[in-house]
Amino acid sequence: MTMTPTGEARIRRSLTEEFDTGFTALVREYQPGIYSGALRLTRKPEDARDVAQDTFVRAYRALLSYDDDRVLELQIRPWLWTIALNLCRNRARSTVTEVSLLDHDVVSPVEPSDIDDAVWSRRLAGLNAHQRAAVVMRHVLDLPIAEISQATGRPKGTVKADLSRGLDRLRLTIEAEVLNAK
Amino acid sequence: MPNSATVEISQALAGLNIDAPRDLYKDTVLEVGAADRAARTDSPIGPVWVAWSTRGVTALSPLFEANTFDDFLSIHRREAYEATNLSADLGSSLTLALDTGESADVAFDLSGLGSFQRLVLAACATIPVGQVRPYGWIATEIHNPGSVRAVGTALAKNPIPLLIPCHRVVKADGSVGNYAFGAETKHRLLVREGALLG
Repeated sequence: MTMTPTGEARIRRSLTEEFDTGFTALVREYQPGIYSGALRLTRKPEDARDVAQDTFVRAYRALLSYDDDRVLELQIRPWLWTIALNLCRNRARSTVTEVSLLDHDVVSPVEPSDIDDAVWSRRLAGLNAHQRAAVVMRHVLDLPIAEISQATGRPKGTVKADLSRGLDRLRLTIEAEVLNAK
Repeated sequence: MPNSATVEISQALAGLNIDAPRDLYKDTVLEVGAADRAARTDSPIGPVWVAWSTRGVTALSPLFEANTFDDFLSIHRREAYEATNLSADLGSSLTLALDTGESADVAFDLSGLGSFQRLVLAACATIPVGQVRPYGWIATEIHNPGSVRAVGTALAKNPIPLLIPCHRVVKADGSVGNYAFGAETKHRLLVREGALLG
């Protein structure tokens, strides 16, 4: 998941040499992470798919308008995540019924991994938006704190606090689940 | 803060990183125009592969040069996916253009080519059906009269032959000159368009 600086530099250079070929390499490299993260933030596969596609449609148009110097200096992954987080936020705003999902339990026969998935979706939904974004980017996707700070526009110290409070909240949620089960 | 509970939580969270749907990548690169679709169609020189992006046609290659789609991929400069048919909006204008030689209604996507070659191909695309021009005419058209030899090279690498009519560019002495698919094919195309007597 974590990309070496040389890999990102290669994609940047490729974008300035043969834009479309460079862009296919960029999508190949970063789209899986954007989809996976968007799925945890939107909780719906169809929304995650839309976010993961729209992010790159917007990135393509933006990159076409950038000159080579700007492309060569671009921190690609956090830049893509800034676009993706905006798209996730816009979706959350337009989904008014979202809160009702919080207490929705999976009752149909499903694979154990799907149950696990639904449980974690519900737990993550209990975090505020900043905590959820930080926890997903740091712990699901293994992004460094500096990149999360760039992507969210929040100082590193604030991101660390979001992470710490987010994990605390998850721990308390799990403890409450254990107590309720008894 | 990191105690065994938070370590377990972060391990469980790492397990939530899943793969994207298989067709998402392909849908995305096609949608933005970074990759092409390609399908077979008929042409005056026999069956050809035509590739197109969301912006227009990117390439045309005869099957005698690239028999299978994999052969075509190996000579195509861009990423491409096979389609069973030409797209609906491209299909009718392209079929007409290949039949009549008049390709003004067909959009081309020349992105990825050098600016000199794009200028040469754009000038070439203005030569009407039934007419020919010498290489020097294109050099003059692009305001670079000393570039006749380079014009020849740019035309030899025309990625969209027939539709961008490089066969209508001939030697200054009136002989047909070279063609990627052979001088005989060039002669036959020009006779077909009425530029030469058979």
